[in-house]
Amino acid sequence: MSEAVLENIRTRRVVRQMSDEPVKRAQIEAILEAARWAPSGGNLRPNRYIVIEDAETRRLIRLVSPGMFQKAPVLILICTNWEVAAEHHLPPTDRALLIDIGTAAQTMMLAAHALGLASGPVTSYSKEAVKMILNLPEAYSPEMFICIGHKAEAAQPGMRAWKKISWRDLTHWERFNSD
Amino acid sequence: MAVKQAAVASECARKEASTMSENWVLKEGEAVELLALLITSARIQMEEPAHYGPLRLLTAAERLSSMIAERSSEASLEFLTENIERIPEMHMVMSDVDAYSAALDERCRAVAACLLRHSSISEEPE
Repeated sequence: MSEAVLENIRTRRVVRQMSDEPVKRAQIEAILEAARWAPSGGNLRPNRYIVIEDAETRRLIRLVSPGMFQKAPVLILICTNWEVAAEHHLPPTDRALLIDIGTAAQTMMLAAHALGLASGPVTSYSKEAVKMILNLPEAYSPEMFICIGHKAEAAQPGMRAWKKISWRDLTHWERFNSD
Repeated sequence: MAVKQAAVASECARKEASTMSENWVLKEGEAVELLALLITSARIQMEEPAHYGPLRLLTAAERLSSMIAERSSEASLEFLTENIERIPEMHMVMSDVDAYSAALDERCRAVAACLLRHSSISEEPE
């Protein structure tokens, strides 16, 4: 069982070219249910998720999102709800808010992969334009889109790594020496 | 006489193929789409790594090429088609600075070649 989880983590990729094939409602709900289990600082749950399936709304969002190369059938927007943050006296600069977005995003993408779906995160968009298009409540800050769909048959390989790395390159054991 | 007429006809055809239409405009929806890309790119570039700048400009170049390729003159078509085909591949080599620079240089040479085809200057050095 654990090997299946590790294999899912190892084989997930960011997909930037998706087909028109629709995503089933049950699959979207399963992804959102997985995100609900993502770790959250202080278990405060300041994230809110906006699901966008409407074709015209997705088109408009793409137009104000230079980093959204995908024409995904489903977009999930991860928002921070500042009212929740304020309620718990979290300042806007609190790192837990950003970490919560990351844990939710990765959990959603792993869940999508486990369901046989493709996914890709997008942060390059105009927040102001997205707020207007979605008529977001004032307290909602649009932090990251997760594009969900099916990988296009002719999809190009992902962006090359800047440098080939292993976990060893990223890890230091125990205390650093003084010299 | 016939040879001279053929030469004149050939020259006329060449000029026609390389002439850019003066009445040629984008559809309003296409122009607005391009403006949205350029303006939102300018905003997000304030907070993104500097090397994303070329990426956004290339994305705009690819979109514009896609919008106008069908209506382009023969002299522009190859250049525009190459932009549509090659620019998405270029995004994938951003992490390889040398390969990225080389691909950008290749696109710059293609721009120059397209400009020359539309000019009265021969592309081939004499």
